[in-house]
Amino acid sequence: MFATIKIALKDIHAGLRMRRVWIALAHEDIGDQHRRTALGPLWLLINYLAFAGTFIFVFQRGASIPNYEAYVATGLLVWFYIMETISQSVSLFVREESFIKGTTLPLSVYVMRLATQSVIRAGYAFIGCLAILVISGTSLTVMWAWSALAIVLILATAPAAIILFAFLGAYFPDSQFIVSNLTRIGMFLTPVFWAYTGGGGVRSTFYYSNPFTYFLEIVRIPILSGDVPVRSFILCGAITASLWAVALLLLGRLRKQVVFVL
Amino acid sequence: MVSIRAENLSLTYRLRQKLTLAPRDKRMPTGGRIVGKGRTRFVTALDGVSFELKAGDRLGLVGPNGAGKTTLLKVLYGVFEPTSGSVEINGRVDALFNIRLGFRPEATGRRNIVLRGLINGWSEQEIEARMEEIIEFSELGDFIDLPFKSYSQGMAARLAFSVATSLEPEILLMDEWIGAGDPAFQEKAKKRMAERAEKAGIIVLASHNHALLKKTCNKMLELEKGSATFFGMLGEFFDGKGCKT
Repeated sequence: MFATIKIALKDIHAGLRMRRVWIALAHEDIGDQHRRTALGPLWLLINYLAFAGTFIFVFQRGASIPNYEAYVATGLLVWFYIMETISQSVSLFVREESFIKGTTLPLSVYVMRLATQSVIRAGYAFIGCLAILVISGTSLTVMWAWSALAIVLILATAPAAIILFAFLGAYFPDSQFIVSNLTRIGMFLTPVFWAYTGGGGVRSTFYYSNPFTYFLEIVRIPILSGDVPVRSFILCGAITASLWAVALLLLGRLRKQVVFVL
Repeated sequence: MVSIRAENLSLTYRLRQKLTLAPRDKRMPTGGRIVGKGRTRFVTALDGVSFELKAGDRLGLVGPNGAGKTTLLKVLYGVFEPTSGSVEINGRVDALFNIRLGFRPEATGRRNIVLRGLINGWSEQEIEARMEEIIEFSELGDFIDLPFKSYSQGMAARLAFSVATSLEPEILLMDEWIGAGDPAFQEKAKKRMAERAEKAGIIVLASHNHALLKKTCNKMLELEKGSATFFGMLGEFFDGKGCKT
């Protein structure tokens, strides 16, 4: 097992050394996706604001949630990042088939390329999120540092999740559609725009048994209520560690095998 | 000292039935030998291949489709890991498998040269130093600053060829000869390849073109269903001692 992890770490180390490649390719990806549009990547910001606006003004589900605008803004920022990263990951190795079969680039180059692309895309949503926080009068406190730490934790989890879902998509092609559907439904099953205020029932189950809830909470709670959600931080840390353990094993074991299933 | 030493090289991989809800994919690999039944079938793409090359050797790789030529090149390049046996390589290896690999249609020719350079592991200085030479060789002129997608097929092939052959590897692996552009460019391309062959310590060239192999190589390796049926000097091969294809 240690040998497997060592192989995976070697791949990651080699991938990190090629950061010029994945940063350049990630920028190209973003540019290509919006090349012939008048507003370019600003559509990412508009898309985010459209969703946030719909939840805040149309759904108006937040009568019982204090500072509902900030609640939705922070929830959507995290959810969009998670959803996009996961849904792009399942087809990653399939999309990169010709590269994987024709070059000796470490697999982590493709992983980091997608991770960087997701961060750039989330950057536009982040601007929208900050704007909503300012407009809604959310005051900047030192507790925001915990939210920043939470974002770092989420970013650190992303490459592990990408590795896991990329192998899943390569070995189980149907998972692309299953994951795509689940992420769409997940938006409604995760407390992005609704909150659990007690009373049990189905909502309680979806709130507490959904791992995404905790990733939303660690970013959201320090900003909204000035508390540190210690339990959620511990849970997220455990999820991140578990994901990395599985990802390293998969990468070490299947790094040179995946080429045969593409 | 540039060298390649392959000893008893074998590559077997499991023919995986992908976990899918759709009807089974009935496609089979095009080469190698298939062993086993049902869900546990294995493809032996290479079986006990041994050879040794030293600086100055030009190896011609021949065999029918599916014999294992490309697989062997990819093992030497490091895309595939051999299941058993060993391969010992001294020297910087580069490969020309798919010259159009990695070109981005929306980016300009110039930007594509940068991206390809980065993928090849060139430093910024190396990219800068090669840029003008690549543009000049490709004969693209002002088109170099237009998007790659606006190029004709010949222009795209010329750029791809120019980038791919601008490096000077110690060991060069090639899958089939590269025909790029119009007859005039093809002449130029052949000359460039001859130069590269001259400079590279070792060349391994997979091809069905015997005339080309006779002109380029000094040694031959014939593969059939993943096994080597001949390895020796070019003259011996074409004098009838090995040539079957």
